[in-house]
Amino acid sequence: MTTTELLLTAWAPGLAVPLLCVGALGAYAFRVRRLGGGLDGRAVWFALAVLFFFLALASPIGVLARGYLFSAHMLQHLILVLAVPPLVLLGLPRETDDPDQKDESRAGGTRGLALAWLAGVASMWVWHARPLCNAAATVPAVQWFQTASLVVMGLAFWRPILAPRMSDRMPALSAILYLFAACAACTVLGIIVTLSPVEVCSAYTMPVDTLGAMPLLRGTWGLSCKADQEVGGLLMWVPTCLVYASAILASLGRYYVGERPSLTAGGVR
Amino acid sequence: MTVVNPEIGLAPPEEHAAHDHGAHDGLFGWVSTVDHKRIGILYLVTALFFFAIGGFEALLIRLQLARPNSHLVDPETFNQLFTMHGTTMIFLVVMPALVGFANYIVPLMIGARDMAFPRMNALSYWLFPFGGLLLHFSLLAGGAPAAGWFSYAPLSETPYSSTHGTDYWVLALLVLGIGSVGGAINIIATVITLRAPGLTIRRLPLFVWMTFVTAILIALALPVLNAALVMLLVDRQLDAHFFQATGGGSAILWQHLFWTFGHPEVYIMALPAFGMISEIIPVFSRKPIFGYEFVAGSTVAIAILSFGVWAHHMFAAGLGHRADLAFAIGSMAIAVPTGVKIFNWIATMWGGALRFTTSMMFATAFLMEFVIGGLSGITFAAAPIDWQVTDTYYLVAHFHYVLFGGTAFAIFAATYYWFPKMSGRMLDERLGRAHFWLTVVGFNLTFFVQHFLGIMGMPRRVFTYPDLPGWGELNMASTIGAFIMGVSVIVFLWNVVDSLRHGKVAGDNPWNAWTLEWATSSPPSPHNFERVPPVRSRRPLWDLSHPGEHPEGVEPSEGARAKPGVVAPHPDKAVVAAWAFIGSETGFFVALVLTYVFFNISTKASAAALDVQTTGLFTVCLLASSGTLHLAEKHQASGNGAAFRGYLLATLALGLVFMGGQAHEYMKLFEHGVAVNTSLFTTTFFTLTGFHGLHVTLGLIALGILLRLAFLGDLGKKPSQALKAVGLYWHFVDVVWIVVFSVVYLRNVL
Repeated sequence: MTTTELLLTAWAPGLAVPLLCVGALGAYAFRVRRLGGGLDGRAVWFALAVLFFFLALASPIGVLARGYLFSAHMLQHLILVLAVPPLVLLGLPRETDDPDQKDESRAGGTRGLALAWLAGVASMWVWHARPLCNAAATVPAVQWFQTASLVVMGLAFWRPILAPRMSDRMPALSAILYLFAACAACTVLGIIVTLSPVEVCSAYTMPVDTLGAMPLLRGTWGLSCKADQEVGGLLMWVPTCLVYASAILASLGRYYVGERPSLTAGGVR
Repeated sequence: MTVVNPEIGLAPPEEHAAHDHGAHDGLFGWVSTVDHKRIGILYLVTALFFFAIGGFEALLIRLQLARPNSHLVDPETFNQLFTMHGTTMIFLVVMPALVGFANYIVPLMIGARDMAFPRMNALSYWLFPFGGLLLHFSLLAGGAPAAGWFSYAPLSETPYSSTHGTDYWVLALLVLGIGSVGGAINIIATVITLRAPGLTIRRLPLFVWMTFVTAILIALALPVLNAALVMLLVDRQLDAHFFQATGGGSAILWQHLFWTFGHPEVYIMALPAFGMISEIIPVFSRKPIFGYEFVAGSTVAIAILSFGVWAHHMFAAGLGHRADLAFAIGSMAIAVPTGVKIFNWIATMWGGALRFTTSMMFATAFLMEFVIGGLSGITFAAAPIDWQVTDTYYLVAHFHYVLFGGTAFAIFAATYYWFPKMSGRMLDERLGRAHFWLTVVGFNLTFFVQHFLGIMGMPRRVFTYPDLPGWGELNMASTIGAFIMGVSVIVFLWNVVDSLRHGKVAGDNPWNAWTLEWATSSPPSPHNFERVPPVRSRRPLWDLSHPGEHPEGVEPSEGARAKPGVVAPHPDKAVVAAWAFIGSETGFFVALVLTYVFFNISTKASAAALDVQTTGLFTVCLLASSGTLHLAEKHQASGNGAAFRGYLLATLALGLVFMGGQAHEYMKLFEHGVAVNTSLFTTTFFTLTGFHGLHVTLGLIALGILLRLAFLGDLGKKPSQALKAVGLYWHFVDVVWIVVFSVVYLRNVL
C-alpha cells in the first residue's frame, strides 16, 4: 500500500457521520430562517465546522485514529476540540443583547468560567488517561462517546470567547488570561506525551491491521511506536498553542477595536 | 524605616517631603530609600558598575583571541572569563538596567505616586547587588564558575566542576531570580492597580505595556530556572541524581529546563528595549506610533510563542527530526510578530519631522543592528543550518547583534532620552555623538567579522585557535573593534559625570514629548506629581497643548458612554500580587512535578515503600485547613472577631499537624537509611515534597503574622485584603499538595 492508496481508500463514512453532518446543516438553515435572516458569511464558518467534523471522523484521520496511529488520534482529538466548536460558534447567527440582563450574569460568572475552562482542559487530559485512551481507540461505542464529549466540552470552553450573544462573552482582557492558562495546561500535557518513556495508549503499539497499512506507516512513514507518540505529543504542544495564541490575538484585537463598550471604563477585570 | 503609602496619591507635597526625603539624605538616604526613582537609579548605577566588570572580562577575552596560538591566559581562566562575562552581562547588567528604567519610568508614565509595594521594591533591588557579590565571591573560594552561562550538565556537576564556582553561580542566580520575580510582581501590581484615571490599558504607553508583558514573562519563566537551579544544587551538595547519567538522571533534562527559561529570557531582555524604541522614535519623528495596536498585540504574540520554541536551542542535542521540525516552525513563526514591529517603527519615521538627537541616532541604529541579529536568528531556526554553525562564532555574532545591537543600543537611546528627567540636566550632544559613532564602529567591527569566523568553523569557548588563513586577521579586527567599544564607554561615562555637574538645565519637557513623565519637574519631586493631567488619549501632553482637537487613541464608543469622573475601581493590589505570585509558583512546581513524572513514570516499585494511608490522613488535615481558613475569612468580613481568630488558629494548627506528619515520614525514611542520594526516586521525592513543605512553612509564618495582627486588632473591621492574599496562597499550596499526593502516593495504589 502506498500513501496515495491509503489516502484514497481509507475512508469510512458509515451512515451516522454523513447523517449527522446533513442534519446539522439542515438544522442550521432552519434556525437561520427562523431568526429571519438569510444565509451570510457566517454560514461558511458553520460549513467548515461540519467539513472538519466529517474529516476528523470519516477520512483517513478517523480511520487511522481507530487503533493505528496515536498521532492520528491526536489530530482527530484536536480538530474536535479546537476547530469544530469555535467554527460552530462563529457560524451561529449573532443574537442581540438582552437589555434587561445584569452585568454579573455575563458569561456565567466566575464559577461558570472556571467550569468552562476546566471542560476545555479536561477534554485534553482526561481522554489521555491510559484506560480511557485505549478503550476509545478500540471500542466503537466509547469512541462515539469520546467524540460527543469532546465537541460538547469544546463548545463549553469556547462559548465565553465566541458566544453568538455578545453579552455571553467574557471581557477581552480576561479572555487572554483564560486562553493563556489553557495553552499552558495543554503544553504541559504535550510535553509529557512527547517526552514520556512509556506509551500513553498501549492500544496503538500492536494494531490489528485489517487495512494492511502497517508496513506503510511503520516503514515508509517511519512512525515507530515511539515516533508516533512523539508526533502526537508535539501536535498537542506546538500547533495547539498556535491556535490559542491566534485566539488571544483575536481577543486583543477585539479589545482594541472596542467591540465591547462596557469595557471602556478601564481596569483589568 | 520610612513608610510610603502610594495610595495617598495626590496628597499635599509637604507631607511627603517630610515623609521620605527630609528625614534621611546622603548615603543613608540612598541605602534606606523606598522611593521608586532612587531605586531605579540604584539599579542603573549598579548595572553600570557590573557593565564595567563584564566589559573588562570581554576585553581580556578579545586580547587572548587577538593572535593565533596565544597563551596570554590559560584555558581554565578563559573558561571562567567567558562564563562570568555571559552571566554578568545577562543577569547583572541587561536585566537590572531594564528593571531600573522600568522602576523609574513606569510609575511616572502611569501617573502613580510610587510602585505598588515600595518596600518589596527595595528588597528586590538589594537582592541584586548581593547576588552579584555572591557570584564574584567565588573568586575568593577557589575559582569562578567555568561551565558557561547556561552551565550544561554534566559539565556543571561535581565530577567535572569540582571547585565551588558553580555552587556560587547557582546561589547567585537563585538570589537574583527571587529578586527579579519580586520586581516583576511589583510591576504587574503597579500597572494593574495604580494607573491614573482615564489611563486605560488601551492607552498605556508602549514602554509600560511592554514592561508589563515582560514582567509576566519574568514571573512565569524565572521560576523554571529556579527549579532547575535547586535541582543542580541538590545534585552538587547532596550527591543526588537529577542530571547525572550514572545515577539514572538525564543531562538533557537540564537543557530542557534551562531553555524553558532561557528562551523567554531572550524576550525578557528584548521587549523592554522594544518599548523604549516605541517611545523614542515617535517623539523624535513628531508622529504618533504607526499601528499602536499591532505593536502592542505583537508583543503579546511574542510573549506566548517564546514559551513554545525553547527546543530550537537544542537542535544539536539529538531530539530527533520530528521535534526539530516542530520547533523550527515555531521559531520561524515568532519572527513574524517581531518583524511586524520593525515595519511599525520605520512607518512611524516615514514622513516624520525627524530630529536626530543622540537618542534618536541610537534608536535608528537599533533598527539596523537588530534586523541583522534577527535575520541571523532566522537562519538558526532552520535546524540543518543550526547544526552547521551552532557553537561557532556565527552564534556569538548573532546574539551580540540581538543583545548589544538590540538591547544595549536601546538602553543607550533610553539613557539619552530619560537622563534629563532623572537628573534635571541634558547629556552633552557633542560627546553623545562621539559615543554613538565609536559604539557603532566598534560594535560592528567586533561582531560582524565574527559571522565569517563562525562560518569558517571557528568554535566558540575555545581559548585559542591555530593560525589558519584569515583567522588571525579577522580576530585582530574583532579585538580592535572591542577596544574601540571600550573607548566609547569611557566617553559615555565622562559625558554622564560631566553633564551631571555642567550639563544644560533640562526643564520639565526638553523633547516636547507626550507621555505623563514629562508633565512633572526634572527630576520629579519625591511625590512625583503636583497634579496628574487628565488622560483622554495615548498622548495626554499633546492634548494639553492642542485643546479642542480630536485626541488620538480615544475609544470609538467612548463618546456615547463617557461619564466624566466615573472610573471602574482597580482591583486590590495585594490580591493582584497574590495571583501573580501564584502564577509564578505554578511554574516552579510544574517544573518539579514534571521532573518527578519524567523520572518515575515507568516504575511504581520504588514509591511502594511510602505509607499512603498515614500521609492520606495528614492530607485530610491540610485540606481541612483550607476550609477553616475560608470560614475565618467569612467571619473576619462579617466582623465576628472571636470566630475569626478561632478559625485562623485552627488553620494554623492543622497546617502544623501536616508539617509534623511530613517530618515523621522523613524521619522514618531516614531511619531506614533512605536519603536524597539513595536513588533517582528518593532524589525526586525529597526535592518535590521538601519544597512543598517549605511553601507550607512559609504559609504558616504568614498565617502566624496574621494571627498576631488579629489579636492586636490591627486587621480592623473591614474585609482584610492581606487575609485574602494569604488565603489565596494557602489554598494554592493545598492544591499543589493534591497534585503531589496524586502523582507520588495515589499512583501506587491505583
